[in-house]
Amino acid sequence: MLETAQIILKDLSRGFRDKLRDSPFLYLFFSLMIVFSLAMFAVLTITILTTHLWVTEADVFFFVFFAFLMKAGADAHKLYIVAPQMSYGLSTPASHRRTLSNILAVILLINLGIWFMFSLLFLGFMALYRVPLWYPVEYLIFSLGVLTATILGFTITLHFFSPHPLRLLPSLVLMLSYSLVQTPMFVALTLPAAVVQGACALSHGTSSYRYVKRKKRTADAQYAKLRGVLPSLFYREVTTLWRERLFGSFVSMSVMTAIGTGFLYLHGADLFLPPALHRMMGAFLPSLFAFLGVYVVVLYTAVFPALNLFLTEEKTLWILQTVPVTAEQVVLGKTSALALCFLTAIPYLAFIPVFISIDQLPFLAWFLTFSFLISVMVAVPFGVKYVGKKSDILLLYSLSLILFVVLSLVASWMNMLYTARDGHIIILLVLMLLFATCGVFLSLKISIRLLRTSSRLS
Amino acid sequence: MIMVSQLLKRYGNITALDHVSFSFNDGHIIAIMGENGAGKSTLLKICAGILPFDQGEILIDSYSIKNNPLAARGMLGYLPEIPEMYERITGREFLYYIASLRKQADAAERISTLADSIGIADALDYEIGGYSKGMKQKISLLAAIMHMPRNLLLDEPIYGLDPLAARTVQEFIKTRNGTTVIATHSTHLVESIADTVHFLMHGHVIHSNTTQALLTRFPSIEDAYFHFKDQK
Repeated sequence: MLETAQIILKDLSRGFRDKLRDSPFLYLFFSLMIVFSLAMFAVLTITILTTHLWVTEADVFFFVFFAFLMKAGADAHKLYIVAPQMSYGLSTPASHRRTLSNILAVILLINLGIWFMFSLLFLGFMALYRVPLWYPVEYLIFSLGVLTATILGFTITLHFFSPHPLRLLPSLVLMLSYSLVQTPMFVALTLPAAVVQGACALSHGTSSYRYVKRKKRTADAQYAKLRGVLPSLFYREVTTLWRERLFGSFVSMSVMTAIGTGFLYLHGADLFLPPALHRMMGAFLPSLFAFLGVYVVVLYTAVFPALNLFLTEEKTLWILQTVPVTAEQVVLGKTSALALCFLTAIPYLAFIPVFISIDQLPFLAWFLTFSFLISVMVAVPFGVKYVGKKSDILLLYSLSLILFVVLSLVASWMNMLYTARDGHIIILLVLMLLFATCGVFLSLKISIRLLRTSSRLS
Repeated sequence: MIMVSQLLKRYGNITALDHVSFSFNDGHIIAIMGENGAGKSTLLKICAGILPFDQGEILIDSYSIKNNPLAARGMLGYLPEIPEMYERITGREFLYYIASLRKQADAAERISTLADSIGIADALDYEIGGYSKGMKQKISLLAAIMHMPRNLLLDEPIYGLDPLAARTVQEFIKTRNGTTVIATHSTHLVESIADTVHFLMHGHVIHSNTTQALLTRFPSIEDAYFHFKDQK
């Protein structure tokens, strides 16, 4: 009955065990980061409770909901849409629907496992702060929300890669209803609707698998030509980013982040702060949202692509290992593709002036450039160190936390100095950029050395 | 010319190649045969510079793969057993990419001629992600041979190819001048083109001889293989 589910779980658990053996320090680091972030969430919750900020249960619920929705979508993509091994399961007399149900069962098991484990850890931290924890109904609603998010994430991925994308409509309507009603109970009650949509996705899932595996002809034959070593490495990276439509999604995310954080910059204080706290924190929140905007933009335009430059070279590294190229050429050629990623972050600066005063734009532009450089500086050596290991989500999460701490400290200090209008601030900003650029060069040097030892490149 | 001397390769406690030595001479086609896990692919990967080794020395046209890997790789063409490639670029883009990395100026002409002869020209502008196994094998083979390397390392070169492409590849190997080392299970391929055969078992060379000598003594290479395997 659950043969596919069993085999996937066995494969995942053995893969995880091997990764633990291969990179124990990395996984120790991941575990510490997860525990650290859960502790920080607990501290944040206590702060919210004690300061009476207007952060509601619904805000937290939707944060959890979207995190699990995205995780389920990514899992469905990894375990089914692009999993060549699924062709074995699909070619047996077992119905495709049954095989797909097994995959959904695995994703449900993983997501619910993570939810129960992390929520219990979070509640443990809360108990340490002597916060009363007896909220069984709320916990049940959150759990139902995780269940709904998982089924919807799975459904959306299956339909997104289908030749009939209109099948996405019911799920989108359901999501729209969530944004209109905005109550956790409503989301929990829509679980049957999500189950119906999941069942529909299971019936049509095979067409998505076939559609993704179809032959795709391109009209770019004229761009296939001889180049220098560095330009050809650059072109290969850029072509992949372009064909996976990542540039488009980076640009649209930059615009959306500018609009979202810009709106919060203007109205965040009114939305989250009770009047009593306006005087105390009202000036702080807009800067926080401006920082968050830049932080989010560099996460997907710098950290994610910089890590993926090397993490995705799992099975294709032989190509670079058997041609006469040096580690230096590989690192420089691949990393140069990040320059185009930086361009996709610029729309953030183009849209944010709609919300902020124009004299703050130079500082924000400086901070975006600085953050981008620091992100590249941190992410590239990590990607090289773990070249070929696709534990990218955990690595991305851990690096995000490190960058959050570093960038928030820099942002707050520099913002204070910039606001004080000290005459020397321009020199300091330029020096900081030079420092970050030197840091990137140093980081690339380290990456070259790491690649030499890990991948037998000269 | 490829010289392998006293090569030792271990995977943890398992010895994949136990102090093996070979001398693959110019103008020769050398077949490495053996059961699954005998160490054939490991040997080729080490010679290609992909895998590290514990002891020994490998010289590719007098360049050490350890001390002078760039020069050694410049003299090599390598076809892996399972050719994994970048999924989102086309076959044509992949071949130009490899040619650019090898700084091969006459790539356009070679790609066009070789793609025609091997029967992949029509599919060059499709993304590799949509290729069948045989098509991937053809593109990977083109990438290995288009710079006309003096030394060619082929891991199961005709596996997955259609009969016409397989015959073209065999003809190509037969008519080229350099050293060609083939790891294969195909006794038919060995009988058709190999000059010398090395039987490998559990990381040891159990027998080496010319194909002609083996075929004089045994009815087929398959019989010769089983004979030496059973003797061991």
